Amino acid sequence: MPEALLLLQAAADTSHAYGEFPLIGARAAVWIAAEVHLMFAAFVLGVPMFAVVTEAIGIFGGDERYDRLSKEFTRLLLVAYSATAIWGTILVFFLATLYPKFFAYLLAVFAPSTWVYAGLFFVESFTLYLYYYGWDRWKKGRAKVGHWTLGILLNVWGTIVMFIANSWLTYMMTPPRDITPSTDPTTIKLWHAIANATWMPINVHRLIANVVFGGAIVGAYASYRFLAARTEDERAHYDWMGYVGNFIAMSALIVLPFAGYWLGREIYQYDQSMGITMMGGFMSWLWVIQAFLIAVLFLTGNYYLWIGMGRIPGAERFRPYTKWLLVILVLGAIVWGTPHTMIADSKELAAMGGSHHPFLGALGVMSAKNTAVNLMILTTFLSFLLYRRANTRPVVPWARTGTLIQGAMFAIAAGIVLFYGIRGYFVEAIVRIGFSVYQVLAVLACILCVTVIDLLMARGAQSLGAIRWGKMPPRSQYALFILAVTFTWLMGLMGFARSGIRQYWHVWQVMQDTSAYAATPALGYAAKMISLCVLIFLSLVAFVFWLGGLAEKSTFVAAAPGVSPGTRGAQHVGH
Amino acid sequence: MWATNLKVVGVVLGTLALYTLIANKIPQVQSEVPQALTTRAPNLLTDEKGTGLIGARCGKREPGKSCKQYLFESLDNPTAYVVPGYQPIMPVMTKQLSPQQIWAVIAFLESQGGTVDVSASDIPAAGAGVASGVSPGPAGPGLAGGSTDPQAIIQAAGCLVCHKLDGQGQVIAPDLTHVGSRRTAESIRKKVLDPTSSIAKGYEKLAGIMPKTFGTMLNAAQLEALVQYLAAHK
Repeated sequence: MPEALLLLQAAADTSHAYGEFPLIGARAAVWIAAEVHLMFAAFVLGVPMFAVVTEAIGIFGGDERYDRLSKEFTRLLLVAYSATAIWGTILVFFLATLYPKFFAYLLAVFAPSTWVYAGLFFVESFTLYLYYYGWDRWKKGRAKVGHWTLGILLNVWGTIVMFIANSWLTYMMTPPRDITPSTDPTTIKLWHAIANATWMPINVHRLIANVVFGGAIVGAYASYRFLAARTEDERAHYDWMGYVGNFIAMSALIVLPFAGYWLGREIYQYDQSMGITMMGGFMSWLWVIQAFLIAVLFLTGNYYLWIGMGRIPGAERFRPYTKWLLVILVLGAIVWGTPHTMIADSKELAAMGGSHHPFLGALGVMSAKNTAVNLMILTTFLSFLLYRRANTRPVVPWARTGTLIQGAMFAIAAGIVLFYGIRGYFVEAIVRIGFSVYQVLAVLACILCVTVIDLLMARGAQSLGAIRWGKMPPRSQYALFILAVTFTWLMGLMGFARSGIRQYWHVWQVMQDTSAYAATPALGYAAKMISLCVLIFLSLVAFVFWLGGLAEKSTFVAAAPGVSPGTRGAQHVGH
Repeated sequence: MWATNLKVVGVVLGTLALYTLIANKIPQVQSEVPQALTTRAPNLLTDEKGTGLIGARCGKREPGKSCKQYLFESLDNPTAYVVPGYQPIMPVMTKQLSPQQIWAVIAFLESQGGTVDVSASDIPAAGAGVASGVSPGPAGPGLAGGSTDPQAIIQAAGCLVCHKLDGQGQVIAPDLTHVGSRRTAESIRKKVLDPTSSIAKGYEKLAGIMPKTFGTMLNAAQLEALVQYLAAHK
């Protein structure tokens, strides 16, 4: 009798479970709504982080430019919040009408969290209004610190909102193991569902990724304003803003792979078959595309820095090194993009001479890839360091020793990375996995110690001339656009990977997708969907930026009236 | 200004086009839903080929048969009418479910787009017509009234719906005529009790089809009689 009841229940669950959407189908409709909503959500979470950090630099560093920069971006948030809410509402309506059974299931588990979510979104919006509209009123002294606290609160609310939404999607991926298809969703304890295996790794990963994303979009905005600038001062202002955006994006990008490793490890620990589907199953080619995109990011980010050194007096000292940095980055990208285990047909297997190509197989393993990516991170950090030191000459008596120590730290870190990379070929997989931790720690320790030494060495350093902001060729600005598009596309791709590994399950091994769209599409189709979503998002963001500029002027201030032609009357801040 | 705008749009579209092109040039692998989950049988709860849900189309399947009669026949003798494009792999459900369960399923199926006309009078009438030996618990007499005749057990359990044995039955699942030369008695016993414990080569796609309920449907004497009978088929 219980079997018959289950049979009837399963049959009842299938009827009227799905709706249909004209032309593009239900899955594509939900895909677009979810992806564009997520991109806007990342924007409205990433930019406040950016804003609060730059405001703090303005307050505690005494540089008002940062304060104005912070305000300029907070202004854009007002419209972006509305867009986020609109796309969120579209997503909810689509889910309720196209996937009603599944949506009802999620609500049955998570209902109280949705109420908190809505309440926090309300609080967050009003904190934003206070933060923006109180900018000029709370401008000095304690009031300014209070204002900055509002910015911190804005980030706190936003982060909690994201954590709540993350619990829903991670539950779909990794529901607690005691939950089965026959578990009544109303009996599942809320916290039990929220604190699932991938919740915290996704929280951390997305938090860092939002900083990257915010920085990249800020960079793209600044690059457009740079290209459209009519005066030297305006160009200088947006050149600087583009640099800051790129700096923040690249700095956060460096730590993002570590959060990614953690997430991957949790997925493997939760369900090895899910991990294998992700890395070696039908999604194996996805990682080759990802490696290509990461290579574009590293190369373009470094390229922007190297061009930027052209506007720094004294940077010519370091120019001969850039070609070697380029060599390391290109070699690293090639190794990282080397495929290893992937689905191949009999012809392809015969052509390769086995499941692994005899030559590429050696470079496609994690030992080689981890080594490559860690060396690429070290190289990018070195580029930043050279950029930072370009127009200064340290005067502290221990400058030479300090530089030697820094060089030694780079050499030791690279040596550790290479040692464990090579050693990884001679040990068992379980030991090899542990080696990646040593490699990461060596790189992070190097970045931390070298930065500290550099800050101490920079005290009272002799200036070789001010950075000539604005003296950048237009191609550098297009590089910032490529970075923003690539970051956004990469976000879409990784979203597909995360969501796609559930395959034909709404909730992994708990609630099955029995719709006409249950099969997980191939990468080609996914790429078209991702490009479409990125295009929709960037078009709307461009519209938001245009709206921001329509009502109010930019925040740059000319150095002094009359210094540069055409800047009269441009001394406004905000509105 | 327009030139700048066009260049920006060009860079954005060019980057998107490049990534999309690369992703479409690599081998395209779609993760299909396992066949068992979708296409092994017609979907009863969706509009199959414009004829409506099962409750609406069941009365039109075979001339002269009411919806109720057609659905009962489908469960009692599934190979009598196989929808084109599908394999005759459905087990005889009247040997697996009690009459009450059978008629509950029929009533549910009728409710999907049609009118429910199952009444209490159907149940005892059917109870006399279908195999009466179904017992879900180990304490019961077992299949075929507890008979230890292997051929009676094989008939009652519906083995021949999928397997061939001594020239009889279907060839959907492995032929059992020489099963004793491939498997030991221990292996056969394990396979009957836990069908997914080992899958014959070439039949991987059918994994999961064989019911896992024989352990509770057969009593110990029946299981042993069946195992020894099959193991003797060298």
